[in-house]
Amino acid sequence: MQSCSTFLHLQSILSIQNVSKSYGPIRALNGISFDVPEGSVFGVLGPNGSGKTTLLGIILDVLKANNGTYSWFDGMKHEDARRQIGSLLETPNFYHYLSAYNNLEITAAIRQHGLEDRERVLKLVGLSERQHSKFQTYSLGMKQRLAIGAALLGSPKVLVLDEPTNGLDPAGIAEIRELIRKLNREGITIVIASHLLDEVEKVCTHVAILKKGNLLLNGPVDDVLRSEDQLEVKAADMAQLERVLQLMSGVKKIRPADGMLQLTCEGIEPQQVNEHCMKNGIVLSHLQLKKRSLESKFMELTN
Amino acid sequence: MKGLLAIEWLKVKRYRTFWVLIGLFALLLPIWNYEIASGFLQLGSKNSINIIDTAYSFPGVWGNLGFWGSVFVLFLSILVIIITTNEYAYRTHRQNVIDGWRREQFLNAKVLIVFALCIAATVFLFLLGVIFGVINSGSLDGMFTEIEQVGYFFLLSLNYMGFALFIAIWIKRSGLAIGLFLLYAMIIENIAKGIGNHFMDLPLFNLLPLQASDELLPFPLMAMAKNLINGGPSVSMNTYVIVTVIWCVVYYFAAKLLLLKRDW
Repeated sequence: MQSCSTFLHLQSILSIQNVSKSYGPIRALNGISFDVPEGSVFGVLGPNGSGKTTLLGIILDVLKANNGTYSWFDGMKHEDARRQIGSLLETPNFYHYLSAYNNLEITAAIRQHGLEDRERVLKLVGLSERQHSKFQTYSLGMKQRLAIGAALLGSPKVLVLDEPTNGLDPAGIAEIRELIRKLNREGITIVIASHLLDEVEKVCTHVAILKKGNLLLNGPVDDVLRSEDQLEVKAADMAQLERVLQLMSGVKKIRPADGMLQLTCEGIEPQQVNEHCMKNGIVLSHLQLKKRSLESKFMELTN
Repeated sequence: MKGLLAIEWLKVKRYRTFWVLIGLFALLLPIWNYEIASGFLQLGSKNSINIIDTAYSFPGVWGNLGFWGSVFVLFLSILVIIITTNEYAYRTHRQNVIDGWRREQFLNAKVLIVFALCIAATVFLFLLGVIFGVINSGSLDGMFTEIEQVGYFFLLSLNYMGFALFIAIWIKRSGLAIGLFLLYAMIIENIAKGIGNHFMDLPLFNLLPLQASDELLPFPLMAMAKNLINGGPSVSMNTYVIVTVIWCVVYYFAAKLLLLKRDW
């Protein structure tokens, strides 16, 4: 299974190399490099002002990087690549005096797609009933839905979504997340910028964490977190348990908490810990693998 | 190229302001000229002196319509500013690029709609000229005398709207762009011209961006007076034609430079 998914992820849809960007004296991005594997849901995560939107603006050619390069689909011409990418950057951008229906006609024309898809995407984002109302009469949530609909026009292979659930009500948020998962199952690669951990944790397979324009971490969500997994153990004689575990290689940190010991391990599995304890004459009454939540990691990294 | 214009058309064809301004141009230009031709609109004292030329037969109609057209073209220039700054206000200039345009395609699309407006305005002016001319001359005789003024009107429109497009792209904000445009066209350039030419042997400050075209279609009686008096050295029409074209090229490349360098 692992080798299969590794094989699938060999090809990268987007490769970012050493991208930097300054706004005057403010360094918005500082030598960012990472690859977005095909078929992933790639989360760009960071607090407000960390450079997420700037990064997406650069890869969509509306902002100029001071340094560095990026390539879509192994070096396809940027404008051709953009036609195959459905994007939502920052705010929904449409002609206020036109209806959703007529706005999508312009989107389709620029992306060189036919119009046959228009009704489908309007229905998909729940705007069919209001498709002939002018954009300026829409609520924030409806505008956001239209932007997502426009991104989906022509069934692009890649979606770039900047804070896609902005302005949506809870039902809308759940709908969009379900839609993202569904599209990903159909093989679409999705790059999603968010400051919501919850969102990234729920839908992403890969993550890059930004802080003040620096890339802190990136990789598959599981990999990024695995090295930091924690084990909780408990035994009758806690002092003896601690002494025994201190001798075990791979146990990096031991911290007593709630009457148990929390172990930060690297490269060892729970059963090895169990075996080690048995060999040393300790019977564990509790052994649990705790994946550290992205949240605690994120807070630790960004604060 | 055809695709770009088709997309611009999608943007404006349901835009009410677009049709209102074009409608005002198309309605007010003939009414205004009709009033002058019939003597309703006068400059001078009633029933004696009128310093507005009322010759609307061939070939005088071309100079008269051309001059007044050059004033009314301000409507269309403001329209160009509005449809361009709208893109910035709605941030659709970004969306167009995100959806697959190159930055220069955004500019080229706007240049094409400027050309389309200039051609439409010129054809409209030509038709008005034929109608006024036939009514006042009673025939088509002499229709093609001084018809080059229609060509001048086209160049002038291109110059005004090209300038407007550049200002809109440079300033991005509608109110400020319209204000600066009108201020420049009506006041700043005249101040510069007045002071500049005062110290020159040749009226070289007539070659300022909009003035170069204004010289192609002067106030009709003024042109006549100039010919009568022969007031010293002047610049030939051909020079004004060439300078107008050069300014249009300058607007294009200046706008392109801005668009390629800037963050959107």
